[in-house]
Amino acid sequence: MTMATPLSQCIIKLHEERHDLEDYQGGVPRWCSGCGDNAILAAVQRLCRDENLAPERTVFVSGIGCSSRFPHYMKTYGFHGIHGRAFPIAQGVKMARPDLHVFVNTGDGDCCSIGAAHWIHAIRYNMNLTVILHDNHVYGLTKKQASPTSPVGLKSNTTPRGSVLEALNPLTVTLGVQNVSFVAQAVDWIPELMYDIVSKAFHHRGFSFIRVIQRCPEFLPKMFEPWLHDPAKTLLLTHESGLQPSADLGRIYRNQRAHDPLDIHKAREIASEEDPIPVGILYRNPEVPCYEDLRGAGKPRTVEAVRKGLDAEFDKFTIWPGEQGQSRAA
Amino acid sequence: MDMAAKFQDQLVFHMTGRRAGEGLAPVDAEAMRPALFAGYRDLTRLRHDFPLVLIETGKADGFAASLSLLVNRVLEALAPRGIEGERLRKHVLRLEREVRAMLGSGRAGTLSELWEEAAAKLGSGPDESVAKVLALAGASLNLDGELADCDERLPERFMVHAWRHVQAQKAALFHGHLDHLKRKLSDILRAAFVHSEAGQQPAALKAAVGGMHAEDFDFSAMSRLVGRNVPLDELPASRRARIERVLGVLRSQRFHAPKLGGASAAYGFLFDNVAGAVAAYRERLPEAVELVKAIAIAELEARNGYDEADHDPFFEAYGEGSLSADDLALLPDYLVCIPADRNDAPENAGLMDTLSSGLPVKVVVQVTDLLEEASLGTGHFAFGVRSARLATTAMGLGGMFVLQAAASSLYRLRNRVEGGMGCRGPALFSIFAGSPAAAGSLPRYLTAAAAMESRAFPAFVYDAAAGDNWATRFSLEHNRDPETDWPVEPFEYADAGLQRVREEVAFTYADFAMCDRRNAEHFAVAPRERWTAAMVPAAQWLALAERDAAERVPYLLAVDANDVLHRVVIDARMMQATRRCLLLWHRLQEHGGIHDSHAERLLARERAAWEAKKAEEIEALRKSAGSVAQPANEGAPAPVAAAPAAPAEAAAAEEVKPPSDDPWIETARCPSCNECQLINPQMFGYNDNKQAFIKDVNAGTYRQLVEAAEACQVAIIHPGKPKNPAEPGLDELMKRAEAFN
Repeated sequence: MTMATPLSQCIIKLHEERHDLEDYQGGVPRWCSGCGDNAILAAVQRLCRDENLAPERTVFVSGIGCSSRFPHYMKTYGFHGIHGRAFPIAQGVKMARPDLHVFVNTGDGDCCSIGAAHWIHAIRYNMNLTVILHDNHVYGLTKKQASPTSPVGLKSNTTPRGSVLEALNPLTVTLGVQNVSFVAQAVDWIPELMYDIVSKAFHHRGFSFIRVIQRCPEFLPKMFEPWLHDPAKTLLLTHESGLQPSADLGRIYRNQRAHDPLDIHKAREIASEEDPIPVGILYRNPEVPCYEDLRGAGKPRTVEAVRKGLDAEFDKFTIWPGEQGQSRAA
Repeated sequence: MDMAAKFQDQLVFHMTGRRAGEGLAPVDAEAMRPALFAGYRDLTRLRHDFPLVLIETGKADGFAASLSLLVNRVLEALAPRGIEGERLRKHVLRLEREVRAMLGSGRAGTLSELWEEAAAKLGSGPDESVAKVLALAGASLNLDGELADCDERLPERFMVHAWRHVQAQKAALFHGHLDHLKRKLSDILRAAFVHSEAGQQPAALKAAVGGMHAEDFDFSAMSRLVGRNVPLDELPASRRARIERVLGVLRSQRFHAPKLGGASAAYGFLFDNVAGAVAAYRERLPEAVELVKAIAIAELEARNGYDEADHDPFFEAYGEGSLSADDLALLPDYLVCIPADRNDAPENAGLMDTLSSGLPVKVVVQVTDLLEEASLGTGHFAFGVRSARLATTAMGLGGMFVLQAAASSLYRLRNRVEGGMGCRGPALFSIFAGSPAAAGSLPRYLTAAAAMESRAFPAFVYDAAAGDNWATRFSLEHNRDPETDWPVEPFEYADAGLQRVREEVAFTYADFAMCDRRNAEHFAVAPRERWTAAMVPAAQWLALAERDAAERVPYLLAVDANDVLHRVVIDARMMQATRRCLLLWHRLQEHGGIHDSHAERLLARERAAWEAKKAEEIEALRKSAGSVAQPANEGAPAPVAAAPAAPAEAAAAEEVKPPSDDPWIETARCPSCNECQLINPQMFGYNDNKQAFIKDVNAGTYRQLVEAAEACQVAIIHPGKPKNPAEPGLDELMKRAEAFN
């Protein structure tokens, strides 16, 4: 942007555009009815509205899977990438245009299976991205196959006699990688906390990783029933610098624990608990440097920067006002 | 002579200020100076911050550099390490000393002039290579500017130069922006012209093609062709008028001098009195408003964002009252440099009002005499208060920048000076230029430094824009040892047996006062044979209890012209002034968070509370250790602990909402999964957060309500009782609904 005096900035701000929730709604979601992805979409759209994110400055990048249809349903920029490669694409976007808000939507297959190598290194790079792992414990798009996070014994089309391997825990993996700076867990059926966590992740500068435990009503309809109907099976992590659930929610979910998000050892301990499901900010360390800062990404190639550069080039050939050019025009 | 008699003379002098008998000699103010000054006889031989080079604008990053620093840089770049570079180093350092001596003898000029002159002088000997070497060193200086020594003119020269430096940066930014806007606006007009009928006339087209190929075209035909094909796109008359008016204002502005000549047409912003600056500000205010408005309109026009309906009324209402400090920051700041002898003149009476009104004016006040005759004469001994008062009072006004410093430290404070000159809003610089000639023969550099070190004129910076609390705004860091009462220096001398003695000597206010010959009556020299154990250094004497102090006499160490060490006894009035100076210094220290009395009191209270708590705990532990043998009470506390749990349970019961028989949704828990919407979008709606609520219960059937409740993944839909008793199959539906109500 060219330089602007405080007065005109103030006037421009007065007439700045505000957006409603609908302004961020792209196509009609094709997810199955009852799918937990809808809850994530609602929380993210709410965040965009509340932060007044300019749609033209916001990008959603995804890989392949049910979750990765996310960019289609956001009326912002989006990149529906190739399988497992959401992270490198998002990192590239961020490197070239650090001024954009970049989100990554990935699934348990996309992130933890085919994209695992990219995932590990994206954590280590700690670039300023908001990452949402839609973890429904199953491959839904290919009609029920076991995923890395499927529990032992899950019968699926690829594991007809039940899966034999222990499920991979995305939280402990993330917390085990160098330079990890933000790890949180949400569940799709507590929308208030989902919004709070997404918002905290967005405001964290660095690689903010949220694992959302998400229902798949089509292929694993009963999987989370016990957690849905018994609030005691959810453990809320509270802290003055983490989540502070409302009084109403606190009355329902009484199983709470104060946890300082700076304590990585405690965070690793909590991350390995599966029942009750911990929900909240496990780890947050704002001091971890971002790759784009370390590398000094240089000048962002924003539209304004490009225009400014072009203007500067044109100015070399400009007939300056007040000289002969101007008198001819008048 | 016995001990008591020796001491008696000194005590009498201390109490009354009168020298009785022959035991004490008067102080020869010309020859006597504080002992710590022994090493500073000849400043020309001493490499120190001065002289300064006031760097010509745009030639280097800063606006001032110390000559010694520049010489060091040259030597680092040119002279090889070790013995090979020694010759060059020696010659260049000699030249530096020569330049210092020339300045000391009243010579003035730029660095290059004096360098050349000194080089010619030193190079005139038989060795021709000297001149060559010095010329080479001079050529690698790479910058130039007036040389300024630490004399009475320094504060004004330094501050005006700093101000010019900041204004030049500001002007460059301003012109860059203004040129950009002018070009954008001209482009709009030009584009409109090209698209207008006039612009498509043969003559205009010919002018556009230029002279070289003018003969190759038939411009009449071209005009017909262009006129037929290009739709006319007229600039609305109101927009054209607005752009032309704005361009007029931008072109004729007189605040920043134009880049190419014409400086005479621009306004001046340098004044020597407050009233003049305020009058000029008022007179130019309407023009300033017009310019600020024009720039804002131009910015909006340039981004095609001017909306007449929204912006016309805004700019019409925009007047002198709307102008903010941020708007004024575009324009140059006013600099008022009040000459030392005009501080009390009537035209400067409005200084405090001007500063508190927030005008963008930077005021430099020069203080020359901290030890004024007037305050001495009245017997009301209050040195320094008048001069130091100004800056501390200005701090109380709040939103401004205040800097107090002695001229000797201006160079060290150059970044803060630059910051102050560049701040938005008013700034006050109170500078002590060193004692006047009437005070004695010490160079101003020394008296200025002495004033600062002795806390008579401490350096401080208060920057209202630096933060929202005292800790970030106020800084004493530029003083020596800011956390102690007086700065303490190691001092070495040879005693009567020619043995090295090393002492720690404090530099007090009395040391500074002794540099002024007008204070000679407050000091008396005690000969060595009369030194007694009852003599105490002034700084220690001040710390004594009243009773102990009455039995002792304060002294300070001084050297005479032959560098012989003396003890100088100080009278009570001078000690009173010293104590007063210390009190003022303590107040500043508290501002700076050093020995903060509130914090210390709080700390003491907290410590007492902590100690009391710990004592209780220890007591409790001791008691419980004693009662281990009697476990009879063990079960007793349980009912007490259980009691508070009951109300919490009650609150929990309240939260479950058993409304009437109406259907309802726990909206806050809705995960937006669309199930209910698919059943009946008229009956179920989403709120602003995309969470479901019952939009219209009559828009559907009870069956749909029950089905939605069953479909809801998180079971938050409660169907209640049916509204329409005629709906078929109600019995079965109500049974199904029971699970959700």
